[in-house]
Amino acid sequence: MSRLDVTDIQGFAMRGYNFPYARFLFLKFLEPEKGRQCLGRLIQHVTTGERWGQVKPKTTVNIAFTYKGLAALGLPEASLLSFPVEFVQGMKARASILGDTGKNSPHHWNPVWHEGVHAWLGVFAETSSDLRQRVSELHALLEEGRGAVVVDGQDAAALEIDGKITTKEHFGYTDGFGNPEFLGLEKDSQPGQGKLATDGKWTPLATGELLLEYADEAGELPVAPLPHLLACNGTFMVYRKLHQNVKTFRQYLKEKGGLYPGGTEKLASKFIGRWRDGTPVELSPDQPSPEIVQDPKQNVNFTYGKDLEGVRCPVGAHVRRTNPRDAFGFNGALVNRRRISRRGMPYGAYLPEDQPGNDDQEHGIVFMALNASIFRQFEFVQQQWIEYGNDARQGNDKDVLIGNHEGHGKFMIQGSSDALNPPFMCGALPNFVELRGGDYFFIPSITALRMIAAHSVDPR
Amino acid sequence: MSNQSGSIYGLTILSPIQDELHLEISHSLAIRMYLQTLPIDGKGPFGKVSSTHMARLVVLDDVVYFGMPSCEEHLQSKYLIFESNFDGDLETYLKRLATEATEEVHSIWKHCVGYPGVTDVAAFIAYMKRCQVETTLYFADVNDKTVQQTLRALQTQSAVTSFIEKNQGKSPADLQKAFVEFSKHLGNTPPPKPGSIEGKEFTDKLL
Repeated sequence: MSRLDVTDIQGFAMRGYNFPYARFLFLKFLEPEKGRQCLGRLIQHVTTGERWGQVKPKTTVNIAFTYKGLAALGLPEASLLSFPVEFVQGMKARASILGDTGKNSPHHWNPVWHEGVHAWLGVFAETSSDLRQRVSELHALLEEGRGAVVVDGQDAAALEIDGKITTKEHFGYTDGFGNPEFLGLEKDSQPGQGKLATDGKWTPLATGELLLEYADEAGELPVAPLPHLLACNGTFMVYRKLHQNVKTFRQYLKEKGGLYPGGTEKLASKFIGRWRDGTPVELSPDQPSPEIVQDPKQNVNFTYGKDLEGVRCPVGAHVRRTNPRDAFGFNGALVNRRRISRRGMPYGAYLPEDQPGNDDQEHGIVFMALNASIFRQFEFVQQQWIEYGNDARQGNDKDVLIGNHEGHGKFMIQGSSDALNPPFMCGALPNFVELRGGDYFFIPSITALRMIAAHSVDPR
Repeated sequence: MSNQSGSIYGLTILSPIQDELHLEISHSLAIRMYLQTLPIDGKGPFGKVSSTHMARLVVLDDVVYFGMPSCEEHLQSKYLIFESNFDGDLETYLKRLATEATEEVHSIWKHCVGYPGVTDVAAFIAYMKRCQVETTLYFADVNDKTVQQTLRALQTQSAVTSFIEKNQGKSPADLQKAFVEFSKHLGNTPPPKPGSIEGKEFTDKLL
């Protein structure tokens, strides 16, 4: 394949920045021409995929658009009509096929998602004061000439526990392992991150599983907008604000942990497939292992082929359902078309582990996933592997952690004849996580941003 | 593959559909219209003929032309495709279709060339066999278990799941007592009738 032009790809599409602070601004363009002028002023601030070398910037800025946003900027109709249908419809319209019903239905989403967001402006920073300063500069820039209005904002930050910035999420699990690697994008290759080769080694996935206008795992080009230059080096982002019911989770874990012979922490590890420190259960089923967690050659490097019965890692554990690796056979080929790149970040303050916590305060994860085809990748994973269990041979069982259980869910821990690892059933599952809104966004390349701003997108 | 896979029979039938000009409603359209009226809740013909695992009826109009570089081809007639995976032998199954789903079978096949009617069961069976072609693929979920065995297994699985959830952690003596009661109760509960119940309702009905 040709070498990727990293200066043309938005940095956020290429990598997670690992900054502890972020704010996501949601924009509306009031009038196409002023909107485009505003975008033109913004482009020079957009962080590209160029490697940073020795000096890491203090902040980063990236931008993405909903279908309504692109329409509001006056993109030609022939280009608008060429986008994939799920992107055109937006996430709200896809609620029924995603299982976003009941407590997760749009009815319960934050008001901003009913107003119609046009763009997402993601700002990441090393410190909270850097973030504040950058955000206020951007506010001034956006409002200049009434180019765009900021209709809402979402703060996100790594959880601070005992004064230390961590990679934990609100349920106490270490998060952020295991993003797929793509051809031309990987730098520090980690075994376990790409796809399985026939010799058991891991190799990067096809670039076209993430970026538009490159061959994907089937040697095809996913549906992308016209013209080629508008699509090339772009990707799609799924943004979901996932509220976490911390009290409900802690109560449930405590109650079932009291019944489970392996104890509460082991039960917690069976839910996810990782101990709360991040140790993969598949590699260390009996206790957490800091040595494995800290070793990049080990912490995402495992397969399920020798554990098809789920003795070590339950078949329905969260990480196994959402990335089954080789568990479905065919050397992982069925899985390679369903990989997504996650860029999630917690929001809200951490509630100390020794307290019951609460469900009501604002705390959760801003889940952001990037993929070339929202339909084939994110929507498939959400519908088939999270809200349904047949592929994992779990019948109607949903993902224990993020499934929309509505009090009726169950989760089977297969276990073995070992007294400390017995089969165990978790029933009457409540919703540990609830959806509070989101949408589908297009992250254009720098070239495409310039074309949109200059009103020079020509679909012919 | 062949027409038999373990204890399961794979039936594939291609019946040419009558082609009469000057009809207000063509025969193929009439079949489609009738199929749309069939109930989908297990009260249809294949719910009645309860040895059916999976069956489907398709009206095949013609070879679909995909444009260049493929060449344009046509069938000599329209066909009714009938596929069924069922328990037992072919003659018994066709006889059950003729006698237990008489009205539906007649309403569908009366539009087909050479159909002798369904009242003469032997003639119907002979006709269907003439239309038979070899089965090469089965419904993916069909294994070597009968419909009854499958329903029983699903019922047992669902019941055991609930039993575990309710009783895990009990002392061995209490667990054994509960299990003896449970298995007696399960043994006395007949398996659900084919097509009569949704999988997830098993548990609620049983426990």
